[in-house]
Amino acid sequence: MINIEIDGKLVETAKGSTIMDAAHKADVYIPHFCYHKKLSIAANCRMCLVEVEKAPKPLPACATPAAEGMKVHTHSDMAVKAQKGIMEFLLINHPLDCPICDQGGECQLQDLAVGYGGGASRYNEEKRVIHPKEIGELISTHEMSRCIQCTRCVRFGQEIAGIMELGMANRSEHAEIMSFVNSSVDSELSGNMIDLCPVGALTSKPFRYKARSWELSRRKSVSSHDGLGSNLAVHVKDNKVVRVVPVENDAINECWISDKDRFSYEALNSAERLTRPMIKQGGNWIEVEWVAALEYVANGLRQITQSAGAENIAALATPHATFEELYLLQKLMRGIGSGNVDFRLRQSDFSADGKQSGTPWLGMPVSEINGCDRFLIAGSFLRKDHPLLAQRIRQAVKHGAQVSIVHSAADDLLMPVANQAIVTPAELVSTLAQVLKALASTKQVKLSDEIQALLVSLTVSDAAAKIAASLAGGKQVAVLLGNFAQQHPQAVQIASFAEQIAQLCGAKFGFLGEAANSVGGYLAEAVPFAGSVHGMNAAEVLENPRKAYLLLNVEPELDMHNPQLAMKAMKDADMVVCMSAFKHQGLEYADVMLPIAPFTETSGTFINTAGIAQSFKGAVKPLAEARPAWKVLRVLGNLLNVTGFDYDSSEAVRDEALKGITISDKLGNLTSGVKFEVVTSSPAALQRVTDVPIYFSDALVRRADSLQKTNDSAVPCVKLNNSELQKLGLQAGDAIKVTQGNASAQLTVQADEGVPAGAVRIAAGHPATALLGAMFGTITVERA
Amino acid sequence: MEKIKDFFKTFLLVELLKGMALTGRYMFARKITVQFPEEKTPQSYRFRGLHAQRRYENGEERCIGCKLCEAVCPALAIKIEVAERADGTRRTTQYDIDLTKCIFCGFCEESCPVDAIVETRILEYHGEKRGDLYYTKPMLLAVGDKYEAQISKDRLADSKYR
Repeated sequence: MINIEIDGKLVETAKGSTIMDAAHKADVYIPHFCYHKKLSIAANCRMCLVEVEKAPKPLPACATPAAEGMKVHTHSDMAVKAQKGIMEFLLINHPLDCPICDQGGECQLQDLAVGYGGGASRYNEEKRVIHPKEIGELISTHEMSRCIQCTRCVRFGQEIAGIMELGMANRSEHAEIMSFVNSSVDSELSGNMIDLCPVGALTSKPFRYKARSWELSRRKSVSSHDGLGSNLAVHVKDNKVVRVVPVENDAINECWISDKDRFSYEALNSAERLTRPMIKQGGNWIEVEWVAALEYVANGLRQITQSAGAENIAALATPHATFEELYLLQKLMRGIGSGNVDFRLRQSDFSADGKQSGTPWLGMPVSEINGCDRFLIAGSFLRKDHPLLAQRIRQAVKHGAQVSIVHSAADDLLMPVANQAIVTPAELVSTLAQVLKALASTKQVKLSDEIQALLVSLTVSDAAAKIAASLAGGKQVAVLLGNFAQQHPQAVQIASFAEQIAQLCGAKFGFLGEAANSVGGYLAEAVPFAGSVHGMNAAEVLENPRKAYLLLNVEPELDMHNPQLAMKAMKDADMVVCMSAFKHQGLEYADVMLPIAPFTETSGTFINTAGIAQSFKGAVKPLAEARPAWKVLRVLGNLLNVTGFDYDSSEAVRDEALKGITISDKLGNLTSGVKFEVVTSSPAALQRVTDVPIYFSDALVRRADSLQKTNDSAVPCVKLNNSELQKLGLQAGDAIKVTQGNASAQLTVQADEGVPAGAVRIAAGHPATALLGAMFGTITVERA
Repeated sequence: MEKIKDFFKTFLLVELLKGMALTGRYMFARKITVQFPEEKTPQSYRFRGLHAQRRYENGEERCIGCKLCEAVCPALAIKIEVAERADGTRRTTQYDIDLTKCIFCGFCEESCPVDAIVETRILEYHGEKRGDLYYTKPMLLAVGDKYEAQISKDRLADSKYR
C-alpha cells in the first residue's frame, strides 16, 4: 500500500493502482470519457488530466500510477485549464444536436460540457461529418459524427466480447469507428457498447427516438432468460417498457447484460400478446370474462378428476416462470391429487430423479469462475447459451486459465481453447470416461472397481489425454456441464463421469442453469419426485398421454425435448389449458387460453444458477386483461377447493415456499446409486446434434422484433461437415429433406467443419424444425 | 388635541371634500381608458399570447421533438409524442398545448432550441367549449402560418437582447 494525497485528502491505495483508482477511493471525481473500470486503459480522451506536484505537465489520472507521497490536485487552476482545453478540442467536431440525440440527458459529454465547456465555440471552420454505416439491427451508428474516439466500444469488443467487431480506421481528423467492410456487429453482448458509449454515437436502434431519458421511470428487475439472473433496470414510459439496461451487481452480471436481456422487451409490446381470456367453443375462440374462464377450467379439471382420476392431469411449466408461479402450480396439482408436474421441458434423462444430493446448480458462486485456472466444459453451446458466464470464463482465460471442451460442435467461443474433443452425442459419455481414465493414471489414483472395470477396455484418445493433462495441472479447477449435456439422453451418465473427474482433480463441479429458474424449479418442488404426491416427469406425461394438460407459458412445439410427441399429446388431450402471455400455436389444440403477465408485469422471484434468490416487483401494470400467473393459480386453487390458497401477495407465496429453508443447504450436484455405463458403439446413422439458438430459446425472445432480424435468428440450416456432405453427394446450399421419426422437414444444408463426422446439427426452437422430433437421436438426410 | 380635531371632522365633511376634489381633478384630466375592440393598447414584441408553431422558409416544420418545452412547462400543459419520419428525421406525431392549463410563462419559447414554439401577440381568442382551447399540432402550425410575418419581425427585434 502507498499513501498519496488528492486535493488535500490522504488516501491509501494499492501499489500499481492509478491516480484514478485512488481518487475513486477518496471520493474525488475526476472527469473522464475513455476510462472504464472494466476495460483496459487507453488514456486517449485526455479529459482526466490532473496536476501532480513536481510534474512539469498535467498528467492523465487514468494512466498515471500512484507513487508514494504524490500530491495530486484535480481542481487546481492548471488542472481545470487543461481539462477545459481538452473539452474545447472534443467539442470542435461534436455536432450541436443534443436536442435530437437519444443520449441527451444522460450524456457524459453533455454533463461535463456544463462544467468545463465554453459558452460559445471559437471554432468557425467546417465540422467533420461521418457518413452512417449499417452495423446490424441492434446498434445504430447513424450519428457517428458524434464520436469522440474514446475507443471504449473497440476495447469492449476485444476484451469483454472476445471479438473485435468495431475498430478505428484512419488517423487524426479522419479517424472513425467502423465495422469491417460490410459486416455487422453480431456479438451476443453487443448492446453493452450502447451503454459504454459516453456520447450518442452508438445508440439503441429499437429505442431510437422512443423517449427522452428524463421521461423514464427506472424500475429494478431480474432477467428471465438465462440462468444467471442478470439485474436489470426496466425503463418505463406511460406504463410501457421502452428500454432495458443493466444494474451493476459484481456478484452476478458485473455491469453487463446480454442482448437477449436487453432487447427482449420488444416482445412485451408485441401484437401477439394475449389480452383477454378465451374459451374454444364449437371450434371458435370466444373472449370471456376471467370468472367464466376460470370456472370453465375448474369444472373441466374436476370432471376429469372424477371420471379418470387426478393422475390423468399433467402440468408443465416453463423454467422461465417465477418461483412463486412454479410453487403454486405444483401445490395446485398436488392439491387435486396429481404429482405430474415438471419444468424440465428439454431434459430427456430423468434417471437421477430422487437420487441427487440436492438441486443441481453451478457448484460455486458466479464470481468464483474468474478465479479458476482450469475448466472442463462438457456439452455446452457456452457462448450462446450463457453469454455472460462465457464472458467470465474469457476473463479467466485472459489471466492464464486453460479451457477444455468436450462437446458435439466446435463453435467459436471467442477465447483460446486449450484442448477440445468434438465427438458425436453418442460418444460424449465415453469421451468423458477416457478423460477420467487418463486423469486417474496421471494422478495415480485407483478408481472404484465398478468404474475400473468399465474403463479397462477403453482406449484413451489424444484429445482426452491432453484434457486430462491440462486438468491435472490446475490449482482451482471447474468442471461444468452445459445445457446440451443436461438435455442428453444419457445426461446422468455424463454427470456421473464429470463428477468423478471433478473429484479426482479436486474441482468444483456444476451445472450451467439453462433458464432463470432452473434451480428455483427444484426448490419450488415443481418436479414429479418431490412433495407429497409423486407423479410422471415431463417426458412420461407425453409418452403416456394424459387427458388434461395445464401449460404455464409453455409452447410445446418449441419448448419441449420432443415437440413431435408433445404436439400429438396436446392434440389428443380432452382439455388443454394454456396460461400464456402470447397467442401461439396453442390456438389449434387448446381449449382455454388464459392471458398471464410476463416478468415485467408481475412480482416474483428467480433463483439463479448459483442459488441466489432475487425477488422483483412488477415494472408496469399487466397489459389489458392479463394477470400475474400467481394470482390466476391462486384463484384456481380456491375454485378447486384446495386448502392453503389464501395468499394476498406473491411475497406471501415465496415466504411460505422458502419457510425454514436455507437455499445453500438445498443445493447439491452429487448423484448416488447410479450404475455407470459406457456405450462405445455408435449408431451407423447420422446423429442429431441440437442447439437451441440464442434468440429462439424462450417465448419472449422469439417475439422480440429486432432480435429476430439478427443473424443469430436465421432460419435453421442443416449443418454437416464436408466429409459427410461428400458421402451424401450434397453441396452446401442444397435443399434437402431431413426425416426423424415419422416427420420430415425441408431445409437447406450448410457445411460446418465444427460438426463431428457422423453427426448432423439442426437447431430446435424454430417452427421450421419443430416437427422433427426429439433433440437427440438418429436422423436421415437426403436430397429433396 | 387629536380628540378635538376628530370632533370637528365629524361635522365639517373635510374628508368628503378631499375625496371629491380628487374626483374633480380626474374629471378634467386626459382619459387613459381604451375602448377595447375599437381601440388597442400598444404591445411589446415580447408579448406572450396565443402559441404558434413555426416553419422554415422552405415549408419544413421547425419542431424536432426534443421535448424540452414539455419538460420545462410548469403547468404540464404540453404533450408531445415523437417518431422517426420516413426520411429519418426526428419529428413530432403529436404536439398538444392545453391552453386552459397554460400560464403563459413563456418558458416553452425560451427553451426551444430551434424557435419552433413561440407565443404570439394574439390575445383575443376564445373557445365555446372547454375542449376548444386544447390546441393540437395542426392548429398551432396554422396559427404560425397565418402570423409568420409578425412573428419573425418580433423575433428579429428581440434578437439583439438574446
